[in-house]
Amino acid sequence: MEKKQPESIRNQRRPIGYVSELTINLLHLKHPLITAFWSALYPGLGFLIMGSYVKGFLLIIGATIVNHMAHINQAIIYGLTGQIFLAKEVLDIRWLLLYVPLQVFAAWSSYQLTVDLNKYAIIAGREDSAIIPMKIGTWDIGFIEKRIPWVAAGWSLLMPGLGHLYTHRIPTSFYLLTWWIGTSYMAHSLVAFHQTLLGNFSQAIAVISPEWFLFLVPIYPFAIYDSYVNTVEYNKLFDKEQSRFLIDNYQNPRFPMP
Amino acid sequence: MYIYASFDYSAFLELAITDLEKRGIARENILAVPLDKRVEERMLLDTIHRADGISLFDGAAVLGAICMELGVIYGFVLEWGPITWGVFGLLGGAILGFVLDYFYGRIRGHKKEKASRNRVKAGESHNTEVILTILCENSQYEMVQKVLWDNMAFGVGKLDRLRNSIRKESASDGKEAT
Repeated sequence: MEKKQPESIRNQRRPIGYVSELTINLLHLKHPLITAFWSALYPGLGFLIMGSYVKGFLLIIGATIVNHMAHINQAIIYGLTGQIFLAKEVLDIRWLLLYVPLQVFAAWSSYQLTVDLNKYAIIAGREDSAIIPMKIGTWDIGFIEKRIPWVAAGWSLLMPGLGHLYTHRIPTSFYLLTWWIGTSYMAHSLVAFHQTLLGNFSQAIAVISPEWFLFLVPIYPFAIYDSYVNTVEYNKLFDKEQSRFLIDNYQNPRFPMP
Repeated sequence: MYIYASFDYSAFLELAITDLEKRGIARENILAVPLDKRVEERMLLDTIHRADGISLFDGAAVLGAICMELGVIYGFVLEWGPITWGVFGLLGGAILGFVLDYFYGRIRGHKKEKASRNRVKAGESHNTEVILTILCENSQYEMVQKVLWDNMAFGVGKLDRLRNSIRKESASDGKEAT
């Protein structure tokens, strides 16, 4: 554990993470295809996994607007259920082509960013760089804490966004909560859920708005997955940080051994 | 005398240490040795491009999301509606992804089945992670022990021998051997 760099450089040059009031951003190894997959499913989600929020929100808002205006979700449902004619009918070509570069860029860029961040995650691990594990600010208190991954997944299962509140990843939580509540209202999904549980399947299909409901679909598994992974990674970060603190402070070289 | 205790990484560990310092045990007389968990080093070596230690969850999430999407879409033309088929898709896809990843991972030589005894799942606690050694006076034993137990130590032990007698013993052992 001997480090020859001065403390000041060692602590700052290749950080493994940063604890702020609203979120804990950290580097950890990810499969680039996984983030690319989430970004392909809904442009921008892969960036939320990496904590690249501004890019993520830009892509999400852009994709939602274009998708809605071009009626892409409706076309997907028509196309995959064999009603090709209706699919062609419903697409709005004033908007349609805007979606292609958005989605391709989101997937490609997620892949690239993950590969880059993986390199720095490895370097940060080797440098054993320090982080400050707590930040008390005006609006909130952020700190790394040991949490149970299945509790995070369980809350996300009940309502996307709550799992991220549990792990203190507020920006993701804000996005998931607003999107989930707004979109499920527009999709009438809770009415359909009610009718489905009562067994009135035809009524459920009649009341639901397919276009908006399809927006909800990627969000649900994403929330469960991401909150689980974050909890695991935060726990590992806690261990790493505390281990380093103990080595720096509680290993007196002149400790009289028995 | 020496007192040993084992802990996992937690806020309690720091509470215990700071409490001991407050009660008069000097920082120089507290020795903490963090233990490396075997899983993390291994995972770093063979999973540079995989989500570390949780890759079983990756496959489940990907296939779960795909099957949920398809379930919802075809649910509109199937009898039970998009919500039922969406939930079925998510569950079915997740289970399928988990199973595939599990066996695929085995074939690829990740050797997950060897995850026994000294290998732990990433993020799992309730394993000894830090060994604490405290040098204190005999009269402080009760206090130190109580602080350690109160802060969730897994186990506490003591080594009650004077340093001089240890030296004499080891010296005489050496003579007998030669």
